[in-house]
Amino acid sequence: MKKRSITLYINGEEYTITVQAHHTLVHVLRNQLNMTDVKHCCGRGECGACTVLVDDADAPGGRKPIDACMVLAAMMDGKKITTVAGLEEDGKLHPVQQAFIDEGAVQCGFCTGGMIMKSISILEKNPKAKEDEIRSELEGNICRCTGYVKIVDAVKKAGSWSTKR
Amino acid sequence: MSNSRILPEFDLLVPQSVSEAVDMAARYGDKAAVLAGGTDLMIMLQKGTATPDYIIALGEIDDLDYIKYSKSDGLRIGALTTITQLIDNSTVKKNYPALWQACKSHSAPQIRNVATPLGNIMRASPSGDCSCALLALGARVVLEGAKGRREVLLDDFFIGYAKTARKADEIAVEILLPAVQNGLTSSFVRLTRTNFDLSKINMAVQLDMSGKTCNEARIAVGAVAPTTIRAKKAEALLKGAKITDELIKKVGSAIAKEIKPIDDVRSTAEYRREVSAVLAERAIKACL
Repeated sequence: MKKRSITLYINGEEYTITVQAHHTLVHVLRNQLNMTDVKHCCGRGECGACTVLVDDADAPGGRKPIDACMVLAAMMDGKKITTVAGLEEDGKLHPVQQAFIDEGAVQCGFCTGGMIMKSISILEKNPKAKEDEIRSELEGNICRCTGYVKIVDAVKKAGSWSTKR
Repeated sequence: MSNSRILPEFDLLVPQSVSEAVDMAARYGDKAAVLAGGTDLMIMLQKGTATPDYIIALGEIDDLDYIKYSKSDGLRIGALTTITQLIDNSTVKKNYPALWQACKSHSAPQIRNVATPLGNIMRASPSGDCSCALLALGARVVLEGAKGRREVLLDDFFIGYAKTARKADEIAVEILLPAVQNGLTSSFVRLTRTNFDLSKINMAVQLDMSGKTCNEARIAVGAVAPTTIRAKKAEALLKGAKITDELIKKVGSAIAKEIKPIDDVRSTAEYRREVSAVLAERAIKACL
């Protein structure tokens, strides 16, 4: 088939759409659904800017981070997907988003969406993740403003909030 | 269209069972590529190094996602099992440390959540980390074809750069590893500039030990020949020998002589030879 009709559940909304077989998930999110919060950067699974969370029963928190440029949208039928725009609840930012603001972990902002999605998965796996673990887990996310120190601080801070609660 | 972020068009086939996938492979042969995790194939499509008319995507086949271990069958890893699943599996960590370490150091989390160890084998890149560990561990690949099922030892599976013994009408469905016995240990080491890079050189060692004496050794080395290779002369030095620092040095020199590395974008032949001896020492010591 050259096209496929699929249903995606993105940030809690249902979308039944027809996608081109050769279009990647990031392409469909941005160009077909206008979800430009997901950034398209290297296109080959190296930079992590397009990181989204996809449901996976075995993963901590029931979801796992993937590069949206590395999967075909047509093969995502029935999946639940969370992007950075879907994190806010009742007008309140996700703790990781808030921590990124508090720590000044954003420079140009292009990597930030992917960084936040990956950071959430780190803390869902281990809210007490230490610096080493945070750094090695963020290996697939590149910040070319080189602001890693503040990003790592932000993840630590968000982790400390969640363990207090 | 090389290096475009939009993939060239193809016909997507989504089999719901292995037998359906085998039918498709038999029908389209070389015109079809098989997609499991897709982290290699997607890049090859972009670069134009793969130009299939059809893609057989295995993702919706239910019974290909598993890790099973038993004393009689050993370890069985399904075609859709991801590298992350192996890292999170305590049996793999305990019984097959070389494979676990290769998975742990492989690429980055987002890729490991999608990429499959069997896909690493099927890519048949000489630098594949899982391929290297699995060769040392004596793995076999299970292929399903129109003419039935067959198992191929990894030693016979890599037949050239990016070439495997899979026939165009076959689908690789499983990795099989022998059950572990007392005295069997293994390790995996690699060298990269940054952890995310492909290996300049990698090495996996499996030793069958009785006390300080090595009964049998398997050493796999990657990125030093068109395929991942066994260092059989070095293995012979270990067989039946008591492992001493002196012997480890000898094994290292034997490996450096036995491999046939080239100069390329990631390293030089000279450097690879030099460090192969160091890696051998690290890998063997990590087993003891």
